[in-house]
Amino acid sequence: MPLSEVKLNQTYTVDKIDIERDDMKKFLFSLGVYPGERITIISKLSSNYIINIKDARYSIDKDLAKAIHV
Amino acid sequence: MRIALAGNPNSGKTTLFNSITGKQEHVGNWAGVTVDKKQGNIRRIYNPSGERITVIDLPGAYSASPYTSEETITKDFILNEKPDVIINIVDSSNLSRSLFFTTQLLEMKIPVVIALNKADILEKKGNEIDLRELSHMLNCPVIKTSAVKSSSNGLKELIDAAHKAAANGAEDKVAQKTDRDEAISDEDRFQHVKQIVAKVEKRKKTSDRQTIQDKADRIVASRWLGIPIFAGVIFLVFSLSQAWLGPWLADMLVGLIDSLYVLAERLMAGNVSPVLQSILLDGIIGGVGAVVGFLPLIMVLFFFLALLEDCGYMARVAMLMDRYFKKVGLSGKSIIPMVVGTGCAVPGIMATRTIKSIRQRRTTAMLAPFMPCGAKLPIIALFAGVFFGENGWIGTIMYFLGIAIIVVGAVIIRKITGDNSTSYFIIELPEYRWPSIKRAFLSMLSRAKAFIVKAGTVILVCNVIVQMLQTFTLDLQIAQNTSDSILAIISSPAAVLLVPLGFGMWQFAAAAITGLIAKENVVGTLAVVFSISNFINTDDLALVGDAAAVQSVLGIGSVAALSYLVFNLFTPPCVAAIAAMRTELESNKWFMGAIAFQLAMGYVLSFFVYQLGTLFTTGTFGDGFIWGLAAVSVIFGYIAFLMFKRKRQDAYLPRKAEV
Repeated sequence: MPLSEVKLNQTYTVDKIDIERDDMKKFLFSLGVYPGERITIISKLSSNYIINIKDARYSIDKDLAKAIHV
Repeated sequence: MRIALAGNPNSGKTTLFNSITGKQEHVGNWAGVTVDKKQGNIRRIYNPSGERITVIDLPGAYSASPYTSEETITKDFILNEKPDVIINIVDSSNLSRSLFFTTQLLEMKIPVVIALNKADILEKKGNEIDLRELSHMLNCPVIKTSAVKSSSNGLKELIDAAHKAAANGAEDKVAQKTDRDEAISDEDRFQHVKQIVAKVEKRKKTSDRQTIQDKADRIVASRWLGIPIFAGVIFLVFSLSQAWLGPWLADMLVGLIDSLYVLAERLMAGNVSPVLQSILLDGIIGGVGAVVGFLPLIMVLFFFLALLEDCGYMARVAMLMDRYFKKVGLSGKSIIPMVVGTGCAVPGIMATRTIKSIRQRRTTAMLAPFMPCGAKLPIIALFAGVFFGENGWIGTIMYFLGIAIIVVGAVIIRKITGDNSTSYFIIELPEYRWPSIKRAFLSMLSRAKAFIVKAGTVILVCNVIVQMLQTFTLDLQIAQNTSDSILAIISSPAAVLLVPLGFGMWQFAAAAITGLIAKENVVGTLAVVFSISNFINTDDLALVGDAAAVQSVLGIGSVAALSYLVFNLFTPPCVAAIAAMRTELESNKWFMGAIAFQLAMGYVLSFFVYQLGTLFTTGTFGDGFIWGLAAVSVIFGYIAFLMFKRKRQDAYLPRKAEV
């Protein structure tokens, strides 16, 4: 299920990342977004999602939220 | 000995750098403030031996494989320049991510010392980290630091440890090499980090719970309140600097400049030729004084910008603006160069390095100078004060007009390049914190110093030259009438082009031209050519005391004044910013296009402001309407041609998919 459709404040495990660009994938990896890692949506604001990965908060847009499957 | 500072973005590298070198490099509470390497010598108190120790502050990176261009700087420096020791700054509140980069640094065969930074925040949260165990598991020294504190901050111990590690470096290198010879996969590396964190860290609360900070985010980035809050903040910053606090401070400073003028006049009376006296008094004290008089306004702006950058709001503005900027082919990351550019366009343009997409990066670099920078503030303050009563509003309007122009510009550039790709947006949201008054104050002082140096050099020289050029005629006689002067003769052809904009007088043309050297020159030159000794009145606490008098000297109405203000703000920036643009655009074609676009933008906007303004106030168009309309039509036609041409080609080309 894409991250854009999951419930708030529940921790999920990343299943796959549906992005073609290798550098973006690598970048997400270095933040800790890769299959098997945990991810939580803290809030949804308009078209932005605030997520928690490891011990940091990030804001991502809807396109990226759709590309991350949990 | 050379020490490199490396670590994740926003882990406090530059704050630590400033503390140990005594420098005042730009710091802020968001990821990607430092986009270039900075160098400094270590302060004596941290270096009792007196050995020459150079510290290099590197842009933040999440890993050794660079994603954006400023991360490449970090990687290249470590690999090619081989510093004697790396101080790896680790944000102690985010070990599980930061140590990933650490494990990569440890394999580079350079001694590493870890600064476990933000120790003060760690304590406040009640989390604990077992330093000894961490040091043991990573096989490198770990020192707890809090770079924001001025004492008992662990920096002395850190430098000592770095010194020792560098000395032992040669031996350790061999030992480390045998330890880890085969390549480790990145997954394994993260697994290794997890084991370490599980062993050394004790957390009171997990980080994936809602906090008050998350509530704050929901308000500042909410669909309806986000923009009004941002507008309110900007209005506050401009009002404080231009209407409330700034003018009050400026008034005191101008008193000093005025007494200096009187004193100099008295000293020279009778002893110095009138020509030299005029150059000294009107050119130097008058022209430079007119600029320096606005220094307090700029200082107040810098102070509040520093507070704004320090509290963590910037990343939220990027998140907020992403929704809107995405529609025109930019992303939220483009707003950061613009806010930074409100202080000075040069660092603003450089801040575009954190943008991944090359078209977005170039578009932002050529549009960011449209933001009103600190040097444009005196022009805004002058015209707002002389022609429009309420000062704060004009600044805020110009700020948002700048953003509006950027939006329009982005649409045009996207059409011209035919690159319709969008990019994913992700930005780290740092924790909010109370901004440090002390840091904002120091930042303000250092930028004020730079301003004074500029006023005493570039602006001084320009004013003297302007004063001389308007004193002499072409055959080097003293001009009886300034309209016969060299200055008038060289600026008149330019002035003709400005007639349709409402200010076709050589004085205004001359000021706009000197403004290209430094924007403060606009005010300085106006002061010189109109012989106004001071724009700030000392008798009553007003920015421009006798507005009516200045208005009559300048000889233009408020519509033309607004047009002139717009023209100076939205034409090409100063040479320093133009040079920065050239570097960041990395393409001659883009660079020439950028300058042409900025010239066209300024001209078209001023034309509409003046002609429509005149139409509304008097019922007829202003001077030179037909000629101006012809010029503007040519500009529109050419831009439309570029946009349309690309569209047609696109039909045959497969669409490029960029990130």
